[in-house]
Amino acid sequence: MAGKAGATPTTYAPSPTTQKTKSLVFKNDDVDWVRPDKRGFQQCRPAFFRTGAVNAASGSAYAEFGNTKVIVSVFGPRESKKAMMYSDVGRLNCNVSYTTFATPIRGQGSDHKEFSSMLHKSLEGAIILETFPKTTVDVFALILESGGSDLPVVISCASVALADAGIMMYDLVASVSVSCIGKNLIIDPILEEESCQDGSLMITCMPSRYEVTQLTVTGEWSAPKISEGVQLCLDACSKLAKIMRSCLKESASSLEE
Amino acid sequence: MGLPNVSGDFSSEMDVDAFRRLFPLRFYERHLVESIRPDARPLGRARDTTLALGAVTSTDGSALAKIGLTTMLAAIKMEVMTPSIETPDEGCIAIDFHMPPICSPLVRPGRPAEAEPVVSKQLCDTILSSGMINMKELSLISGKAAWMAYLDIYCLDADGALFDAALLSAVAAFSHLQIPVVSMNDDGRVVIISEEHQEGKDPVNKEKRKLTLSSIPFSLTSILHKKYILADPTAEEESIMDTLVTVVLDSSGRLVSLYKPGGTVLAYTSAIQDCIALTRQRVKELRNILDEAVSGMEVD
Repeated sequence: MAGKAGATPTTYAPSPTTQKTKSLVFKNDDVDWVRPDKRGFQQCRPAFFRTGAVNAASGSAYAEFGNTKVIVSVFGPRESKKAMMYSDVGRLNCNVSYTTFATPIRGQGSDHKEFSSMLHKSLEGAIILETFPKTTVDVFALILESGGSDLPVVISCASVALADAGIMMYDLVASVSVSCIGKNLIIDPILEEESCQDGSLMITCMPSRYEVTQLTVTGEWSAPKISEGVQLCLDACSKLAKIMRSCLKESASSLEE
Repeated sequence: MGLPNVSGDFSSEMDVDAFRRLFPLRFYERHLVESIRPDARPLGRARDTTLALGAVTSTDGSALAKIGLTTMLAAIKMEVMTPSIETPDEGCIAIDFHMPPICSPLVRPGRPAEAEPVVSKQLCDTILSSGMINMKELSLISGKAAWMAYLDIYCLDADGALFDAALLSAVAAFSHLQIPVVSMNDDGRVVIISEEHQEGKDPVNKEKRKLTLSSIPFSLTSILHKKYILADPTAEEESIMDTLVTVVLDSSGRLVSLYKPGGTVLAYTSAIQDCIALTRQRVKELRNILDEAVSGMEVD
């Protein structure tokens, strides 16, 4: 075949090296810079959810925040793997993967191996596992396009998918992250902002119960900044949960008709 | 077959859904006698098909194809390579088909689906041998640099006729493809010219922004069952009746390839001819759908 010459030759993406332009956009100590997408520092991207994206699954959801696009499918409750021990409570199994074209440079999505276990840990506290003993619920996520804040979007989308599948939960799980760049806290960062952040903080919580299921802080933070960031995230989470809830209500009411 | 009577008795007192699950084949055969399928389609009709171009903004070309519930997302990323010595003025295409665990309850992480490499190979063969793409158009600087087009197709929802949907999305992604304008920098690397600082650099490929697609391949998968031919099967139909025939024709009606991967029914020539005739009709539909999607893009 003319198109496929034996061994794949080494290739590279023709994108110009962006390192230089970054420092131009984000003047670290300057308070007056604008975000690349013209948002305010404490303004989230418009969130869009839709349930029933994948018909083959028991429940599913598609989420789009700016350029971040993810699909989550939920399967089960179904038979656990044969090798598993007997268990009184149900099991939760999570997997997060990227498409090869999700990242600006092809095939970099496999860098995020920790996402699967982080998704698991953020959801397991919210699901009433006692309702499906001896069985497993599988939550699979695919990131179609990475546009920043990927994991928070996956987690929020997964909880909508779980609700769509009729899995019992104490509350919806909403997740938001903030980036610390210089003196500023910016909420719901996009990819370019994440790549030059000094620190990042992500909260997943159940807003109606006011309970946090996961909190991760990385990088350089001062104590007052952390509490400011946490408060910012919690407020955003409760707003996000309203959007998630209205999406579920909409799909439920359209089913009734 | 002395049994139809028995099931006939059952069916009168049994719930339709239960009958469908317990006697799937009989359930289908009862429909086939009436020349109709459970989803209200006539035997030869394909499901509703939609196409959306430019679904993934971070790529150079992308398309989302839906045939019934089967959903495919194809995207192309262009990278630069040094062409091989034998073909210094030709580029390359690498095609990969993926079935991520989200698409079907049968696929689990770490265990790739059986169909994945099969469809991948079929797509590769079809696209490269149809002559749709002239590899010479992917050349940048003869002997020095050429495009490598990475085409990745993801199945987002698997409900039968995977190959048809994958091929449609792949073809649509190629017609949406916008090749970036590039130039050679001082280190001999090919770099995209950004709109802001264009001065001083000569673009290598100012004219070659779109590929000319000649003879686009389209396909239709059909199921052979006894004397019936069911076009564009759903996953349920594929699981019950296992003899599949996939016909690929190009836009001018020439046969590109024909797959009949085994199955319990042996196909007579007449059956194959019927499949080809069905595909011929389907190609017209698909061409219109593709043309509409492309012209819809140009208006925007």
